[in-house]
Amino acid sequence: MTRARSFWTGVWAIAYREATVLRHDQAFLSMIIAQPIIMMTLFGWGLRNEPANVPWVVLDRSQTTASRRLVGDIQATGYFLPPVAVPDYPHGEARLRAGKAIAMLVVPQEFRRDLERGAARVQLLLDGSDPLTSARIGAYVAQVTARAAPGRAGPPPPRIDARQRFWFNRTLSDSHFFLAALVGMLLTNLCLSTMAQGIVGERERGTYEQMAALPTTALQIVLGKIVPLVGISLVILLVVQCAVGVVFGFWPQGSWAVLVVVTIPFVLASLAIGVLISALARSTAQSVFISVFAILPSFVLSGVMMPYELMPDGVRQLGGLLPLRWYQIALRAVIARGAGLVDVLVPLGALTGLLVVLLALASWRLPRRLG
Amino acid sequence: MSWRRLRTLVQREVRATFRDPFTVAVLITVPLAALLTFGFVLSTEVNELPLAVLDADDTPASRRLLADIDASDAFRVEPVRNRAELERGLVRGRTTAAVVIPPGFGRRAERSDGVRPPEVQLSYDGAEAVLAGNAEGALRALVGASGAALVGAGSAGGIALTTRALFNPTLDGRPFMVAGVFGFVLSFLTTLITAVTIVNERLTGTFDQLQVTPATAIEIVLGKLLPLGAVFSLDLLLMMVLAGIVLGVWPQGNVVVFLLVSMGYVFMSLALGLVISASSVTAAEAVQKTVMFSIPLVQLSGFAFPIRSMPTILQWLTEVFPATHYIRITRAIYIRAAALDTLLPELLWLAVFAALLAWLAVRTVEARA
Repeated sequence: MTRARSFWTGVWAIAYREATVLRHDQAFLSMIIAQPIIMMTLFGWGLRNEPANVPWVVLDRSQTTASRRLVGDIQATGYFLPPVAVPDYPHGEARLRAGKAIAMLVVPQEFRRDLERGAARVQLLLDGSDPLTSARIGAYVAQVTARAAPGRAGPPPPRIDARQRFWFNRTLSDSHFFLAALVGMLLTNLCLSTMAQGIVGERERGTYEQMAALPTTALQIVLGKIVPLVGISLVILLVVQCAVGVVFGFWPQGSWAVLVVVTIPFVLASLAIGVLISALARSTAQSVFISVFAILPSFVLSGVMMPYELMPDGVRQLGGLLPLRWYQIALRAVIARGAGLVDVLVPLGALTGLLVVLLALASWRLPRRLG
Repeated sequence: MSWRRLRTLVQREVRATFRDPFTVAVLITVPLAALLTFGFVLSTEVNELPLAVLDADDTPASRRLLADIDASDAFRVEPVRNRAELERGLVRGRTTAAVVIPPGFGRRAERSDGVRPPEVQLSYDGAEAVLAGNAEGALRALVGASGAALVGAGSAGGIALTTRALFNPTLDGRPFMVAGVFGFVLSFLTTLITAVTIVNERLTGTFDQLQVTPATAIEIVLGKLLPLGAVFSLDLLLMMVLAGIVLGVWPQGNVVVFLLVSMGYVFMSLALGLVISASSVTAAEAVQKTVMFSIPLVQLSGFAFPIRSMPTILQWLTEVFPATHYIRITRAIYIRAAALDTLLPELLWLAVFAALLAWLAVRTVEARA
């Protein structure tokens, strides 16, 4: 009993020291205050994958009311800037090549006659150098042309009436996609770099030796370092989700308890990666370096920015080794779709598995440094 | 300016750089790793996506429709027993899209009077906005095509649309990303390396030693930047070859122009690193400043997100970053084989920025003397 109590007293003492150190660290403070604000603004308000203000050109050889109505209908989808008329193909292609247009619509001379016969065709040239935008633009224009009909007759009845519904996000807005995983990005940044820099910085200043000289064990020191960061991570989770709810009206659909349950193994796994980085780096500058180049690919491969389901085999499985992959799956399930604990058992299990492996690796690297 | 002194400075710099294995490893591996990581991830094509299917009709017509969907590479059909199971799959994120065929589908398809067409219900997981958007396109096309075969090509409505993507007919994501990675690596890594090496020199006092030699400020700046510039030019070539061999993306435009513009851009970013180093006390601080500068770089330069879709204020802001202009030039030359004269405004902006940074870099070194 007393041994257990003295163990936790040691952990508490180290945790108190750590919290004090962090409170006086300018870089750390700017990271936990400025970064959430910047990222929330960027992802909630600034960045979109969906096209907007798309410049396009029209080569209208028909010059009839029918062709002008088609152009008007495409314009009415709201994704385009007012079209620029071009006199021939070379002019249009030159604009595409110079990047001054993304799409070129070609309406043939016989357009109106063909439309009345029900055999009208138009051509759409897209700038393939921007595949995401071009693919979507192609789909939007196809929807307009499929509905187009000659004269006053209404649109032709569809062969199969497909009724669509987008669940959890009716307007299919990109910002919900980013905001749901935002806290995953913030916590990756925080845990990896703070842990790595903290340990390396102490080694540089020689304070590690001082701590090793204390009557505390290596385990107590590690726990003492981890406790304040786990606490800060949970506070960030709470504050960021509330801010996203207040500012963008996007509140977590699932329970807060489940959010906390999936966050803890993720934070611990990220901290373990931080410890591993500290074992690799010889100076603080190097540790920041390595953290940056560990964080960037994990943002790209985990699926917080682009859907991992679309990545090719091999790359997709590689991303499965990252804690952030499973955490963002769980976050999206709980925050956007209101999943319960049972629904996130798979990502939770994967996170725990990764945590065990990372802890084993970290404890294998750490004693040598402490000794 | 004396060439002999400059040569000595360059030699010193080369030796100093190659003595540190960490820097050398970073300089070679990071660009190549970034190229491979980013190069593979962007795709617009839906491939073997799990699709929950509830066939409440179970007639030859409905089975035919499902067989058609299953036969495509886009979806992998996973039958479910009831709506609750379908819903659970969506909530868990196991399936991103779902099809429900209500009873009466087969009967209506047989009658095909055009008044009450057979009906299907398509559901998507909107939380995965990008994926849902892509799945929607693929699924609609499949249902439409299969429906035409089922019901018989009746009244052909609408306008036939022929779509052709220039420069990249398959809308492959790789050229887009490769061209962007050049901008990302050459902006970020260059700035970072100069900032760190110079701060470190200042800390160890070797920078002060340089300043008491007869070398002028311009010579010191050039002596610093030329060797690093050479290393990054080598990186540039390595990346180009790797992108060509591994990802199959070769520059479509003029390679010489691309290399010249890129090298100019490298020197500009190196100068930026030198300026950042002046305002940092420790190397860690220099790295952190560079990273703070680089977050908007990735997100606002058009590397990953289209600038056109941003709010107007942000669009203006992006124009200030030299990386935005460089990435535009890279994509134009690399993918669209654009002629040089169409890129003049972008080049002009880069030149202005380069002149400004060069002046600032020399001032920085002078001020410390």
